[in-house]
Amino acid sequence: MISKILIANRGEIALRVILACKEMGIKTVAVHSEADRDALHVRYADEDVCIGPAVSRQSYLSISSIIAAAEITGADAIHPGYGFLAENAHFAEIAGECRLTFIGPTPEAIRLMGNKAQARETAKNAGVPILPGSDGPVKTFTDAQDVAREIGFPVILKASAGGGGRGMRICGNESDLQSAFEAARSEAERAFGSADVYIEKYLEHPRHIEIQVFGDTHGRIVALGERDCSIQRRHQKLIEESPSPAMTPEIRAQMNEAAVKLCAAVSYVNAGTIEFLFQDGRFYFMEMNTRIQVEHAVTEEVTGIDLVKEQIRVASGEPLSVPHGDFRLRGHAIEFRINAEDPRTFAPNPGKIREFHCPGGPGVRVDTAAYRDYVVPPHYDSLIAKLVVRGKDRAEAIARGRRALELFIIEGVKTSIPLHRAICDDPRFVSGDFSTRFMESFSW
Amino acid sequence: MNLKEILELIDKVAERGIAAVEVEQAGTRLRIEGKLAPPPQVIHTAPAAPLAMPAMPAMPLAMPAPPAAPPEAPAPAPEVDSEAGLHIITSPIVGTFYRSPNPESEPYMSVGDHVSKGKVLCIIEAMKLMNEIESDVDGTVVKIYPQNGQPVEYGEKLFAVRL
Repeated sequence: MISKILIANRGEIALRVILACKEMGIKTVAVHSEADRDALHVRYADEDVCIGPAVSRQSYLSISSIIAAAEITGADAIHPGYGFLAENAHFAEIAGECRLTFIGPTPEAIRLMGNKAQARETAKNAGVPILPGSDGPVKTFTDAQDVAREIGFPVILKASAGGGGRGMRICGNESDLQSAFEAARSEAERAFGSADVYIEKYLEHPRHIEIQVFGDTHGRIVALGERDCSIQRRHQKLIEESPSPAMTPEIRAQMNEAAVKLCAAVSYVNAGTIEFLFQDGRFYFMEMNTRIQVEHAVTEEVTGIDLVKEQIRVASGEPLSVPHGDFRLRGHAIEFRINAEDPRTFAPNPGKIREFHCPGGPGVRVDTAAYRDYVVPPHYDSLIAKLVVRGKDRAEAIARGRRALELFIIEGVKTSIPLHRAICDDPRFVSGDFSTRFMESFSW
Repeated sequence: MNLKEILELIDKVAERGIAAVEVEQAGTRLRIEGKLAPPPQVIHTAPAAPLAMPAMPAMPLAMPAPPAAPPEAPAPAPEVDSEAGLHIITSPIVGTFYRSPNPESEPYMSVGDHVSKGKVLCIIEAMKLMNEIESDVDGTVVKIYPQNGQPVEYGEKLFAVRL
């Protein structure tokens, strides 16, 4: 049984884990950098340890400092949150060797699914639809050319070890491919330490739809429905919702089944997300995230399942508490990511929050670690709050989103709130008919 | 509201020593923060009735809260600067502080000992690794902050050295 959890993260997700622990009667240890002394996760945890200077590499990414903090506080488990070390197989391995329960999947599963080419291969072998493309990395331009000719242009080059949109290049024809190939390889080398790239067919107007999955140590795997994350800019998600406006019960059943098949193929344990591209009624496996996601709250709102508590229970060896048999998504939930950034240029805008007022009322949930007079440090992610609204249907959820965004007051730093308000008033967004390219043509 | 009115408002705020004023008019919201008036001076007369207080040697006598005290917590009493002129060596890592290489041996360093740059001061154990912490100055050890075997955080004070 887990009695004390060290949270190897900061910000709203660290607080989210603390909330779950409080409800379960589990003690918490916050770790923090020198820049986060006044952070809320530090204040609300039972114990806290300063693990290093502001720079992440020497604090939130320092495996030895985090393990040492667990040792001196007597924690028996580590929750990695998302980002930082959440998908670092080496960290999960070391935690295990130090007899700390890692609240997440096994190091083997993290390693396998973290490599995009291997993940694609695994999906293919499990019978999960994938985009036509190269089997593994393409080493030379001639190989790339052969694959592109076979599957047809446009194609996209992706870094095998990549993520977050970096190292990706779209090629409309052979001359594009020629100039992009070496550039993509060197970009991949610089960003991820591996020059391997692979080729896939490029879809012109896909939706990003992902399935929340959960496995326990008793061999049970469940799929908890989808999240539509098509509203993105530069491959960074802005708005996520469930159910997807494009979904039918038949396709959902197929996607859930495919997601479960893939997890079964790697004996997946704990929370994970299978990302698909969806276009013209067909879906294709894109990648798997072996962690809790930023947007997990959307699924919590429509399923009534506390995913973070479920993570802790499963890590303790308990079976999933999700009821057997079919279950329905209840109502509609939408998450708006509130970032401290310029809503037009997306330039980060750290600084002191002078005024902070959270909206409330029916169907409104705010996950945040910000408060009045809090200083958003320049060293980390710009996410300062997640506004999650729920309604009986999509129209009610949007109406609640609109009024909650109006009542959400943050002053002192620029935020994405004005952008979200504009999107809520956009006829195309309201109609539900959009793709991942929505933001390219959105003007306000 | 035009610029002239805003400037007048700023003058008034400064004149009257108002901490902050907020005005909302026709969709425009304006907040002006003045310089906070200094906290009221406390005049120490006869010692106040004895209060149960935790031992805080470096703190000047705290005043008993007057009935009309502002709702904010009183400003923290200034720490007596007993470390002026001393060089403080802080912990570069999280871990457990040990004064000697093993339980049987003598401590590396005691108060009054002379240290030179590069000399080992203590060990900090992290992840079963013994990390020797070296002095970055020459001087005399005048204080050792943690107890032997005590956990220390990053940046926590370890030694005070008189240069």
